[in-house]
Amino acid sequence: MSEKNYTGASMKRHMGLQASRRIGNTAAYIVLTLISIIWLIPFVCILLQSFRVESTWQVGYVIPQQWGLDNYRNLWNTDFPKWYMNTLVMALVTAVLQTVIVLCMSYTLSRFRFKGRTFLMRFMLILGMFPGMLTMIILYRVLKDLGMTQANSVPGLILVYIASSGMGYYVSKGFFDTIPKSLDEAARIDGATRFQVLKKIILPLSKPIVIYTVLTAFMGPWGDYVFARYISFGTSAGMNVAVGMYNWLNKDQIASYYTMFCAGGVLVALPVTLLFLWLQKYYVEGVTGGAVKG
Amino acid sequence: MAEVKLTNVKKIYDHNVVAVHDFNLTIRDQEFVVFVGPSGCGKSTTLRMIAGLEDISEGTLEIDGEVVNDLQPKDRDIAMVFQNYALYPHMTVFDNIAFSLRLKKTPEDEVYERVTRAAEILGITEYLMRKPRALSGGQRQRVAIGRAIVRDPKVFLMDEPLSNLDAKLRNQMRAEIILLRQKMNTTFVYVTHDQTEAMTLGDRIVIMQNGYIEQVGTPEEVFDRPRNLFVAGFIGSPQMNFFQAALERDGDGYAVSLHGHRVRLEGDRAELLKKHGAAPAQIVLGVRPEHLTICDGSDPDAIDGEIRVNEMMGSELHLHVRCGDDKNIILRVPTIELSQEKRESLKTGAHVRFTFSSKVAQIFDPKTENSLLWD
Amino acid sequence: MKRYSDLEYLKLSKGKRIGYRLASFFASIPTALKNGLLAVWHFLQNLGAGIGREISDLVTTFREGDVPTRVSYVIMGFGNLCRGQILRGLLFLLFEAVFIFYMVIAGGYWIQMLPSLGLQGPTKELDPILDVYVTTYHDNSFKILLYGVLTIFFILAFIYTWRLNIKQNRIAMKILKSGKKLKSGKDDLRSLVDDQFHKTLLALPLTGIIIFTVLPIVFMILVAFTNYDGTHDGYNNNLFSWVGLQNFNTMLSWKGSGGQSYAATFGEILSWTLIWAFFATFTNYFLGMLVAMLINKKGIRLKKMWRTILVVTIAIPQFISLLYVSKMFAQNGILNLFLLNMGWIDKALPFWEDPTWARVTVILINIWIGIPYLMLITTGILMNIPADLYESSRIDGANAWQQYTKITLPYMLFVTGPYLLTSFTSNMNNFNVIYLLTGGAPTNPAASSAAGTVGYTDLLITWLFKITMGAESQYYLASVVGILVFVVVAVISLVVYGAMPSIKNEEDFQ
Repeated sequence: MSEKNYTGASMKRHMGLQASRRIGNTAAYIVLTLISIIWLIPFVCILLQSFRVESTWQVGYVIPQQWGLDNYRNLWNTDFPKWYMNTLVMALVTAVLQTVIVLCMSYTLSRFRFKGRTFLMRFMLILGMFPGMLTMIILYRVLKDLGMTQANSVPGLILVYIASSGMGYYVSKGFFDTIPKSLDEAARIDGATRFQVLKKIILPLSKPIVIYTVLTAFMGPWGDYVFARYISFGTSAGMNVAVGMYNWLNKDQIASYYTMFCAGGVLVALPVTLLFLWLQKYYVEGVTGGAVKG
Repeated sequence: MAEVKLTNVKKIYDHNVVAVHDFNLTIRDQEFVVFVGPSGCGKSTTLRMIAGLEDISEGTLEIDGEVVNDLQPKDRDIAMVFQNYALYPHMTVFDNIAFSLRLKKTPEDEVYERVTRAAEILGITEYLMRKPRALSGGQRQRVAIGRAIVRDPKVFLMDEPLSNLDAKLRNQMRAEIILLRQKMNTTFVYVTHDQTEAMTLGDRIVIMQNGYIEQVGTPEEVFDRPRNLFVAGFIGSPQMNFFQAALERDGDGYAVSLHGHRVRLEGDRAELLKKHGAAPAQIVLGVRPEHLTICDGSDPDAIDGEIRVNEMMGSELHLHVRCGDDKNIILRVPTIELSQEKRESLKTGAHVRFTFSSKVAQIFDPKTENSLLWD
Repeated sequence: MKRYSDLEYLKLSKGKRIGYRLASFFASIPTALKNGLLAVWHFLQNLGAGIGREISDLVTTFREGDVPTRVSYVIMGFGNLCRGQILRGLLFLLFEAVFIFYMVIAGGYWIQMLPSLGLQGPTKELDPILDVYVTTYHDNSFKILLYGVLTIFFILAFIYTWRLNIKQNRIAMKILKSGKKLKSGKDDLRSLVDDQFHKTLLALPLTGIIIFTVLPIVFMILVAFTNYDGTHDGYNNNLFSWVGLQNFNTMLSWKGSGGQSYAATFGEILSWTLIWAFFATFTNYFLGMLVAMLINKKGIRLKKMWRTILVVTIAIPQFISLLYVSKMFAQNGILNLFLLNMGWIDKALPFWEDPTWARVTVILINIWIGIPYLMLITTGILMNIPADLYESSRIDGANAWQQYTKITLPYMLFVTGPYLLTSFTSNMNNFNVIYLLTGGAPTNPAASSAAGTVGYTDLLITWLFKITMGAESQYYLASVVGILVFVVVAVISLVVYGAMPSIKNEEDFQ
């Protein structure tokens, strides 16, 4: 085709692909940059304000006029270290026990066809429709009788976190479902008991889901507010970071604790975020698989 | 090295879905038996019941004289090769093959000995340190077989082991299975949907449909004397042709007439019909494509048909022909016997005249679909 | 409504087709509900039939049984012991002993007290010597209800075990008759890691679920029929007792006592809860998908960096980000102060003070919270859409927008249908976002005569929390709200699940 045959419309058709993609990409970069800024701003603010020394109030600017570690130092004079330890212990223990329970449940539901299996799954689905918070009223009183509330709330909260964790089996069951059943069958014919199948075949293949489960279980206690609030019931020594620091932002405390909240927030977020970034790949796999399986 | 005996074995799933009805079969020691049938016919279910991967709803299963219904797969002394190979992805080829031996706490020396011997038989020695994902389909298949033979089991089960391979590899592996079988003194049960595999591998073939056994017999038997329409159509490729025909008396013998032509039955066909005292009736006449022969236009007994499709297969020509209501009759004509001139005359739309030998004709009752040549 | 055949339907105009489909969706709701109820009914029927079968089986087993079998009806495990299954026999026997012991020592009392929930509350008597009032505690309604329920569970477990014990006799007789051997205790133990391995695996998780979820939920459902609250805590001040359906009457009656009725308050909160759940789910879903598509766009570099920036925000515990952002938007928060300093506004913006502002702000902040998560989920699924679908649609002449609406969106909705449903219901119960952001504020003065202080952004779940934490701790009311939340969630799930294409045509996109 020769040059002079190009009409306006056909010009547009011919330059189309490349040029329009370039325009589109530039727009996309602008939007992505904007998004990144919006998403990161609050965290940058927290970080910067945690170093602000000149006032503990909220202020109308982001960059401190006077830098220092006062806020971090002051944390030591509060119950913060206690809350931090509480949360850390709970997170570690929960990560281990919850993983064991979730894996037991999901592996069983994925691999065994026993009487009552569908009933069990439906039953748990229906149970899940009740607001979990409701159970706290009774659990608080029972745990209180057992001496596992208030100042001594760590074991009580661990129990609360892990006891019903079997109901969160969906994601890992979805993962196990993708491991071909014929592997189990081959191993059983090769002479393995069901336990050996789990130990020698399935678990070595389940690294991603084990890590995902550990990671989510570990993150749980750091973000929990409701259960910790019920079980610690106003006793500072038994609080986790969320309940403890929540009170700092009360109307009557915020003036003196605002920047300390930021400092505490940085200390809490740091280890969790680093761990998360390190294991990001597994988290993404778990989340994606879980959503598709429903 | 064992006899496998299934007596009245049934498989009933939830909601009373019956997958296998009353399965009775004795597989002799060191026999190679093939279960064949279309998908959903119950062949795999039966194999899995022998393996212990499915519960047996009713009936008994004996291996080597012992009832094993309630035994776990691991206690039945069987080995199995799966359709998708089921290799353990996190183990090397060596570990895959050694897995069952190690579970039995076999000394490492002996494990090494037996695994390398099995690998040698299958020609996979150089891959022993690889993981399954680094192997090709054919190699994986060999590892799967290696995992089974290393145990020296009483019964060797194979569930469509070749269906994930491409056509060329499949032929090659089929030959290797025949060789392997000669080296091993084991009872084989082999499941496939491919009648060629069944014919080439089996000492006996069990043809199944909808959970029922349709026929059990040697390859020759099921090919030459199919018990019913289903078996006749399933075994042989291209499929057997079926004509609407009538069975008539012809003196003291019989004849069939179709499309205005009449062919006298000769040989054992006539004798068998006579023995059973068959009465004249509408029948389905079955003739294999290779038994239809093209003849000159002058033959008075010839059947006339219109060529609809002409498939050149190289060594032979497949002609799809319409004869009245029988719309898809296939003729298999060896090209070597055709002159150039004749070959060109067999074009789409042309007419062709053919006949068949009554010695190889199959006769079926259209209602019961059973062969009239059987008891 | 008129049903069209396939060919008739294809002849309709586009608008009519949509109308027809909407109409058939709504017409299907009653059927879906009916089917749900039918399923429950069938379940009950089967249960009844099952119990009938069990009883007749019990009778025949007794009639045809040998002596050890018959003795087993009274002494559990006797049959097992006689036939050499020592381990099983002892376990049965032990269980029976424990049960009888428990019922005599404690269970009997709890069951007996269950109908009244305690006869005598704490009493105060003047101690003549010290001349002070001394409180003596008597019955404990809370414990009676709790242990009463537990005892009922225990009785059911006992009946089940007793039945199992008899069934085993029957099976054992059959096995012995056919000349086979019974399983020994060693076999039983071995089977716990083999063919019965699932029982071993489930033991721990199920125990946890029964004790920490099933039991509390049964308890709390029962509480809805009592007057358990801060002033009737069952032990320290007053007993509580059964009140029948009174609490449901209170919650669902339109008659208010001095202010708005509970039903009106409940209705207001429920409608906001549904609006919130709808926006929270779908804004996140579509914007998350959009961001994922932006990052996945051909020719965009540093994909991993963009993704990581967003993903980091998932890692940071929500209470930090939510509380901090909540303060950012406060009257004297950094945002308002900044805008005031710059002179762009002359009065702080009422983010949390005006009902509409507050509702919009929580939805916007929820987008900020939710997008990274949705971006992750949708990225995975978007990449799974077969590329040839796009290629063939381009050859058919579709532009980018048409590709999105005709291929991407249907595929996504199909695959994520069940996820959207669960996401909707969990947003209904999204306590963290609402409570940490606003605590329910701004206060709704009309509704606040009801228990707890009710605000414009309160969800049912935060209201429930406030009721239990409030001065009067009206637990019975919290239970009623909890039960109603369950009913709403269950009905929505049932209807949507029934109408969902992923359930109906499982194979469409495979």
